[in-house]
Amino acid sequence: MNFAKELTKGLIKDNPIFVLVLGMCPTLAVTTSVINALGMGFAATFVLLCSNIIISLIKNITPSKIRIPVYIVVIAAFVSIVDMVMAAYLPALHKSLGLFIPLIVVNCIILGRAEAFASKNNVVMSIADALGMGLGFTLSLSLVGTVREIVGAGTWLGMRVTPLTYDPALIAILAPGAFITLGFLMALMNMLKEKK
Amino acid sequence: MKYYLKLGLILFIFCAVASGILAYINTLTAPVIAERKALAEIQAREALIPNAEFEEKESDQGLTYYLAKDPETDEILGYTFIAADLGYSSTVQTMVGVDSEFKVLGVQIIDQGETPGLGANCTLPIFTNQFSGMTLEEIYVDKDGGVVVSLSGATITSRCIANSLREGIIDVKDEPNPGGEQ
Repeated sequence: MNFAKELTKGLIKDNPIFVLVLGMCPTLAVTTSVINALGMGFAATFVLLCSNIIISLIKNITPSKIRIPVYIVVIAAFVSIVDMVMAAYLPALHKSLGLFIPLIVVNCIILGRAEAFASKNNVVMSIADALGMGLGFTLSLSLVGTVREIVGAGTWLGMRVTPLTYDPALIAILAPGAFITLGFLMALMNMLKEKK
Repeated sequence: MKYYLKLGLILFIFCAVASGILAYINTLTAPVIAERKALAEIQAREALIPNAEFEEKESDQGLTYYLAKDPETDEILGYTFIAADLGYSSTVQTMVGVDSEFKVLGVQIIDQGETPGLGANCTLPIFTNQFSGMTLEEIYVDKDGGVVVSLSGATITSRCIANSLREGIIDVKDEPNPGGEQ
């Protein structure tokens, strides 16, 4: 088990969205555009990093029977702190990411990594795990966001990329489009994996 | 039995520490956040009706509105207020400026939590700019026979903004003496 391996496993091998199928709620909800996907990805990565560090530090004083409620308290407290501090001192960033912060509490990637990794490994490895998973999450969200934004709005990162004659298929940025896009991307991912 | 009490106690300690930290951070950040919000409101007001002196008033319906007067001639330039209504998934707050004839000068969405990519697009200038110059009768979304072009896929958000605007304008207009003692 080494640092680099933990860092890169989130990209393909243990990709949180397409392989572990974690964090579906934010995946479906905020991938209507690339910029939202990036915002959610970075905000979640930050909270994941902080919670992994804390949970790996307190793993020896947490009785295993009540570890889940303890993790949830740690994560929820962190999310609230990030929310308040950002609103007070980084208002511009909070305005663009603010919406995603409360959604992070329901992101099971954070709890999933706390339970599966941080509670069993040391701080350094937990940091690598958080960064790798966070990056994999962000990239996957952006991929879903790219497909949905181009098909549903004809733009990418707010820039028009389709000819003006293209009439955007609005369903792609509505909720059903999230399920359809995610299904196709997962199938594509599995196909590529099986070929290998 | 004793073991379970111990577990409960440990969980209690974790929660107590977390609440303590949160409470402390809240006392630090709450005034800063409130101050920023107030400042943003003042800036939004001044952007809508520039070079005016604002006077805070309250309508009979309990709506706080600001009377904008020319600081030199005391002429009434217009009114600003915050219109709020429940949208699709949040309360949408809109800062509205109207002239003395109650024609819209401009609007600015100051707080909303609508669906990103759909209702949340209401903050974009392409949506808010269209309100400038509209009269009370025109502020209905296109589906309701008005001239407000709704956001695609977000008629509920668009309608809530139009409705809150209309209600607010009627509220101020119906004041027996909206401009104060004259």
